[in-house]
Amino acid sequence: MLGVEGLAGPLGRAALFVGLIGAFFGMIAAVTGTRNEDEKVLRLVPRFATLSCVAAISAFAAMEWAMITRDFSLAYVQKVGSKSTPALYNFTAVWSALEGSILLWLLILTCLTSGIVFKYRTRITDPMVGWAVAAMFFVGIFFFILTLGPANPFAVGAAGVLDGPGPNPLLQNHILVVFHPPILYLGYVGMTVPFAFAIGALITGRVGEGWLVETRRWALFSWGFLTLGIILGSWWSYEVLGWSGVWAWDPVENASFIPWLTGTAYIHSVLVQERRGMLRVWNLSLLVSTFSLTILGTFLTRSGVLNSVHAFSDSNIGPYLLSFFAIIVVVSVVLIGWRGQKLHSPGTIDSPLSREGAFLANNVIFSVFAFVVLLGTVFPLIIEALQNRQLVVGEPFFDKLAVPVGLTLLFLMCIAPVLPWRKASGELLANRLFWPAWGGIGALALSVGIGATGFAPLLTFALGGFAGGAALRQLVLATRRQGLRGFVGRANGGMVVHIGVILIAVALAASNSYTHSQEMLLKQGVVATFNGHTFELTGFTTESDARRTVVAAVVRVDGGKSYTPAITKFKSMGTNIGTPSVKSSFVNDIYLTVEPPIKVSSKTVKIKVFIKPMVMWLWIGGGLMGVGTLLSAFPGRRRKPTDATSAPVPTGAVS
Amino acid sequence: MKYLKSWPVWMLMGLIVVALLTVGTTRDNGPLTQSDRIDSITKHIACPTCDGESVYVSRASAAEAIRNQVARDVSAGTMTDDEIIGSIANTFKAKVLLVPRATGVDSLVWILPIAVLVCSIAGLWAAFRRWRRENNGEASSDDVALVEKLLAEDPTDEDNV
Repeated sequence: MLGVEGLAGPLGRAALFVGLIGAFFGMIAAVTGTRNEDEKVLRLVPRFATLSCVAAISAFAAMEWAMITRDFSLAYVQKVGSKSTPALYNFTAVWSALEGSILLWLLILTCLTSGIVFKYRTRITDPMVGWAVAAMFFVGIFFFILTLGPANPFAVGAAGVLDGPGPNPLLQNHILVVFHPPILYLGYVGMTVPFAFAIGALITGRVGEGWLVETRRWALFSWGFLTLGIILGSWWSYEVLGWSGVWAWDPVENASFIPWLTGTAYIHSVLVQERRGMLRVWNLSLLVSTFSLTILGTFLTRSGVLNSVHAFSDSNIGPYLLSFFAIIVVVSVVLIGWRGQKLHSPGTIDSPLSREGAFLANNVIFSVFAFVVLLGTVFPLIIEALQNRQLVVGEPFFDKLAVPVGLTLLFLMCIAPVLPWRKASGELLANRLFWPAWGGIGALALSVGIGATGFAPLLTFALGGFAGGAALRQLVLATRRQGLRGFVGRANGGMVVHIGVILIAVALAASNSYTHSQEMLLKQGVVATFNGHTFELTGFTTESDARRTVVAAVVRVDGGKSYTPAITKFKSMGTNIGTPSVKSSFVNDIYLTVEPPIKVSSKTVKIKVFIKPMVMWLWIGGGLMGVGTLLSAFPGRRRKPTDATSAPVPTGAVS
Repeated sequence: MKYLKSWPVWMLMGLIVVALLTVGTTRDNGPLTQSDRIDSITKHIACPTCDGESVYVSRASAAEAIRNQVARDVSAGTMTDDEIIGSIANTFKAKVLLVPRATGVDSLVWILPIAVLVCSIAGLWAAFRRWRRENNGEASSDDVALVEKLLAEDPTDEDNV
């Protein structure tokens, strides 16, 4: 095509090689320049960062070009490319399998490294910045090696291949495939920045609060992207997979959830260190855990050791990822041990009944939760290693343990926002919790009034009302004093995030506990009824092209709008994929799927109807978490973090 | 207002919560459809040919076959949910169970989280005890003066509301 057939492969390989060289020399320049305090050498660092970034962008562009031009000389295009795939899904096919997803990771990582170097270009001689940049280059080198070795997207394929199967059918069925993986990867890769600064702080011995201040927005945004990525993944699961759920505790889902849990613990406990200078080792450990767990999760799900609906095929990437994970953990532990004396916190926590006490409790619960999810995910491996037998740990196990943990976290969300730093008296708590508690009682009374049953969901609604009241109280007080500025800053933005979390908890409790389903054989023109709703088959639609045939049943719901659950047959793979159709409202969703085979001539169809309460609030809650994260990133009115706890707030100060 | 927030009112609130929870948890939650029962049972069974998915989630033919078997057992109405899961587990051996047993090595998956939780709480308790011992000093007159001065100033520190 345009006389450049087959060029993408050599170009891509060359770009990756150049990128590796750039990252390698960037790391050498950062290390030697910092050690020798040689400003001249350090001034080379931005050039190497730019070089490796441009190289990664070029490699990614070459891969897109190969996919767009259907360059079947490449093994990767043979695996996920197809002449019949529409342009949009052809574009996203680049990250639809192992090699391309590692390339996407590399692209984001090199851009972030370049961004960090640009942001700190005037402070590149600061040893902490130098070591942090070196750490980022080191991670970059590892990913360049992966893309040139076991996960090479530009490997030459078999000769004579003229077409391929295209991406997994589930990855060419919904627009969310454009957003979910890149946003999730922004979250994963973003955690490299605070990790790198933590390493810089440990090496330089500047383990006070300075490095936290440097990285808090990076950590917050990475956490926000991880949150958004997980929510979008749940939405994609709901809209595409056809089993009406949002979360199946699949190993790949767990691989994203575990670092999210440790990251959430970190963004809470870091406040204690900023404010009180405490929990230094703990915060470093959480940060190292969060970053290393992203690598461990990638190992577990991309190496083929664990089965998952998301997992890509077996590859020899496993030993590389496991070795890198081991290096990160060992180096971090050694550095923390080396700086042990300096990491000793000067202060103490006066009372468990204080905000820092609540953060500590929150951290314990989040860490235990992360351990439970990790244990459940790797337990089949442990059993196979010990007893050479296969075992599956699935949703019922995780649900059983996640419910009490989730309820405990909700309870902490009721109490923690009203607690002051240092110490709270019983009288103060009684005063501040009074109206939020009535919020909980109101929510419980409303739930019982409309017929809700079951201990766990009712307790969730009650605690949700209570925690929502506590969060609203904080926002009302802040906006009363500061107007719209009362919504920004970490404490106030954090309350918006809390409200989002509460909505998600309530929506999950309602949809998991009160979903009803029914299989129905619909005859054209005959109205069927279920759960107070009517369903009428009015006909069928069929669309066919070179790629697929879509047969949809047209079902009129409640005498109004028609919905079209469908079966799509992908011709190159012979796979039938069901596509649900959903009528959404603030009260409940009516989720329709159609059971194969569809025989249009019989004028009948077997459908399954799920009535799922409150699902819409799950997405609203996710949106609020995103908005709250943004609001948290804006500076609120507070002391300088480096000031003593008792330092006065400067009048009109905005730090 | 002070009396409104006194302990008897909190007691009353506690009683209201207990009463509402009792009403909500003891009343009948309505009939389940046959499909509801099938969904509930198949969420506990792993698809034997899939990558860790439950029969409920999977669309594979093996999952479809088990779903049909469960549907027949539910229609027959002679077995409880646990008996149906047990009969499927006997047919396919234990590897179709999604919940590990609480015996032998499998029990570790239940014991370890509790052990970690207990150790964490014990660690937290020990840390607070140590901190309390280290923190029994009296505030100096300078400290008291500083706090009084700050309390008199603008109290809009958002982190300390």
